[in-house]
Amino acid sequence: MKAPGAQVARPVRRFGVGWLGMVPFLAFAFLFLVAPTFYLVVGSLQTATGAFTFQNFADLFTPQIITTYANSLEISIVTALIGGVFGFLLAYAVILGGLPGILRSALMTFSGVASNFAGVPLALAFVYTVGRTGLFIVFLKGIGIDLYSNGFTIYSKIGLEIVYLYFQFPLMVLIIAPAIDGLKKDWREAAENMGASSFQYWRRVALPILMPSLLGSMILLFANSFGAQATAYQLTGGFINIVTIAISRQMRGDVLFNPNQGYALAMGMVIIMAISIAGYSLLQRRSERWLK
Amino acid sequence: MRTERSIFPLVGLGAAAILIFAACSSSATTAPGGSSGAGASGGSSMDALIAAAKAEGNLTTIALPHNWCDYGDMLTGFTAKYGIKINELNPDGGSGDEITAIEANKGSTGPAAPDVIDVGLAFGPQAKAKGDIAPYKVSTWADIPDTAKDADGYWYGDYYGVMAFEVNTAVVKDVPKDWSDLQKAEYKGEIALAGDPTVSNQAISAVWAAGIATGGSLDNAQPGLDFFKQLNTAGNLVPVIGKTATMVSETPIRLAWTYNALSDKDSLAGNPAITVTVPTSGRFGGMYVQAISAFAPHPNAAKLWMEYLYSDAGQNTWLKGYCNPIRYDAMVKAGTVDSAAQAKLPDTTGTVLPTLDQITKATDVITKGWPTEVGASIK
Amino acid sequence: MSMGGNSITGYAAERALGPNEPGAPASSPSRAAGRSRRRYLTRIAWWVVFLVGFLYFFVPLYGTLDFALKSKPFGSAFTAILSDSQFVSTLTYSFIAGVLTVVVSILIIVPTAFWVRLKYPSLRPLIEFITLLPFVIPPVVLVYGLLNTYNGKSLIPLGNSDTGLNILLVAAYVVLSFPYMYRAVDTGLRAIDIQSLTEASQSLGAGWIRILWQVILPNLRTSLLSGAFLSLAIVIGEFTIATFMSRPSFAPYLGLVGDSKPYEQAALALVSFGITWLAMILIAVIGRNSRSKIKVTVG
Repeated sequence: MKAPGAQVARPVRRFGVGWLGMVPFLAFAFLFLVAPTFYLVVGSLQTATGAFTFQNFADLFTPQIITTYANSLEISIVTALIGGVFGFLLAYAVILGGLPGILRSALMTFSGVASNFAGVPLALAFVYTVGRTGLFIVFLKGIGIDLYSNGFTIYSKIGLEIVYLYFQFPLMVLIIAPAIDGLKKDWREAAENMGASSFQYWRRVALPILMPSLLGSMILLFANSFGAQATAYQLTGGFINIVTIAISRQMRGDVLFNPNQGYALAMGMVIIMAISIAGYSLLQRRSERWLK
Repeated sequence: MRTERSIFPLVGLGAAAILIFAACSSSATTAPGGSSGAGASGGSSMDALIAAAKAEGNLTTIALPHNWCDYGDMLTGFTAKYGIKINELNPDGGSGDEITAIEANKGSTGPAAPDVIDVGLAFGPQAKAKGDIAPYKVSTWADIPDTAKDADGYWYGDYYGVMAFEVNTAVVKDVPKDWSDLQKAEYKGEIALAGDPTVSNQAISAVWAAGIATGGSLDNAQPGLDFFKQLNTAGNLVPVIGKTATMVSETPIRLAWTYNALSDKDSLAGNPAITVTVPTSGRFGGMYVQAISAFAPHPNAAKLWMEYLYSDAGQNTWLKGYCNPIRYDAMVKAGTVDSAAQAKLPDTTGTVLPTLDQITKATDVITKGWPTEVGASIK
Repeated sequence: MSMGGNSITGYAAERALGPNEPGAPASSPSRAAGRSRRRYLTRIAWWVVFLVGFLYFFVPLYGTLDFALKSKPFGSAFTAILSDSQFVSTLTYSFIAGVLTVVVSILIIVPTAFWVRLKYPSLRPLIEFITLLPFVIPPVVLVYGLLNTYNGKSLIPLGNSDTGLNILLVAAYVVLSFPYMYRAVDTGLRAIDIQSLTEASQSLGAGWIRILWQVILPNLRTSLLSGAFLSLAIVIGEFTIATFMSRPSFAPYLGLVGDSKPYEQAALALVSFGITWLAMILIAVIGRNSRSKIKVTVG
């Protein structure tokens, strides 16, 4: 909404130039995202022979599939939170933490690459390092710490989360960097001049300003983790059931083939995503309120 | 608010557009098969086929890794013989990918549409039922056992392998000889499947084979689940996908088809040293089938490819890749088998191959039981 | 943030302390000394954070290197990769596709994010939902849909030729870049006062295109770089869509090197990691040397 009293040279008409700005995006999204995947919606409501049915969705409510969704959600939320917090700290460290400037460029560019280092190479990298015979594990054994005998294993949900963070941290770093850039140094100085402690500065100034961006970044991390598949499949051999593997199972494997079930599973993901965004939008609107 | 009201016409327009678009483009034309029936083995029709295929100039294959049954040499051999360029899609693809690719490219003549597929046995009839494949009987059709082909010529078995133990002898000193050996405590944390049994044919075959060796049969796959449950609780089974990369130290024992294990052995060339052992009991064979896409942009090249695969040269190439080609018995009788390659095959007498019905039943049992009985234990 | 730059400092500072909290500005030496010691400790803390991050990122890479060097003779995995002609050709293809993707994505996303923030904030959840869809739609579904929708029988038969498939590939990648590009740009737009900037520019007679190009865009440097890095990395690493569309890009080639050559696979992962990193550095350098941004301080 325009600030009261501001003058504008050109009046903006309701269906005017404004909509033109949105058209490229909407058209592109329609042509190359919505229309091609519309059959996903249609297919989820069909049997293999094309007849209409709700059975695919009804089948989602078995305990096994529910656990599958629960696993996906758990892993996604955990990696979004941890990834969000530490990613933020890492970005802050190189931007405003007083570290040499070259480390910032190094971290940003590295994050660009690392954010997409996923799938089989990432899973194997961790196997080579912290697998049972991995480099780091053997090194620790040499100094007397035997992690695997004490129950640690990379082939677990926690192990998977540790591996997922490898692309979650960099993603957070890159996405939150512009927001940290926007935290003007003078605010910090002004707050200090007024005697605010670090904690007060963070609690009353920095975090509230950053909160909308933090939330936005974390929903991205959540979605990123939610949609990941290849890393999990390689690392845990399908033992940990997550939705993306369940979908692959029905659409891409050599054993089962029920693509309609796969579409329904994917629709479940879309619905969960929609709900998450709704929830996050509410949170974000709240956090922005005092900024206006 | 003004902006709220102005959204609705756009949304309505958008919805209408989506419906129109979907109707236009997903018009699934059930294409007539396109291919002829039985190919006569006469010389002139073969020449005609070769000419027609060369005119098409290209062939598109899918999901053919180069080190799988030596497809690498098969592909180069075909191009060298006929000058037809081969366009390879998705070498790591699964059978589901191949069917999906055919269906997605109905009506396209571009390089993304596969001409021929090589899928698991159970997928042959499925693809036929969906109208995705077209029948064709190669000139050596009679040499293919009846149990290994569709009577109408839609799909036909190509090769099979036997479930074996691929062992890294640098790490494992005492090589397991049979399925029950795998349960020994000395192999703790060393054994891996080549995939998820609900996704990978190799993995589900390993489960079934283990069951056959420990009280099950081709009609009863449940003991296989029990076997792996025990293997997992004992900690012998590592819940990771066993690949050549993990063979090096992490999972020195991998359960894979003989041909994959032997080709791994070759490519690792002693670094580390690999031994391939076919278990003394529970010898289980898995067969794959070939088919031509009903919407193939290059139907004649596709047929020529099939002729090549089922010719002596083609079958011997598969043999070189440690696979048992489907015309093996006939070729041994006719003396056209490559004896050097034949000598390299491990002894697999007593191998049982399941029928389609048995596969369907066992798949059902194992895929339902795996997540709950075996998989659930991982935290 | 619609009340101009400086006012927020005052507002924030006041809110932080309230009118009654003890906040006498201190200039006594002991307080200054305490503050500098505190600054020293905080800096150590940030160094620790950085080092933890560094270790976490590099140890697995070192593990991969250690594995790749197990090939015999020593280093043969790397020489095998670097001497393969397909390595260069597929990497080049992917880079070109990546650059095109980034350009198209920026051209589409920046105006959209700008308009949503400026005029249509109620549309934001819908836009964000659309941009996040690529995460939850499996890539095989997307490529299946694209090939089906644009096959030989449709209005735009992109599936029938190499050029058509190339276009389709870039379009798909632009869609995949939406979540990252949108989020990065949106975060960047939050940090600048677009309301005032727009009004000021308009009162100076600038049209929308001029506003976007000369005023907004230069202020989004960090965001655009972030978005560009992420999108480029995605394109280079993307496998499913490229392979289903039979495109000669890098990831399918990497897949072909494959499972039978584990040392080469590890070497390839590292080499491509390194090369992509170099590309990012190049982009960062170019971005730094481009026209300096116009700082518009308002209020």
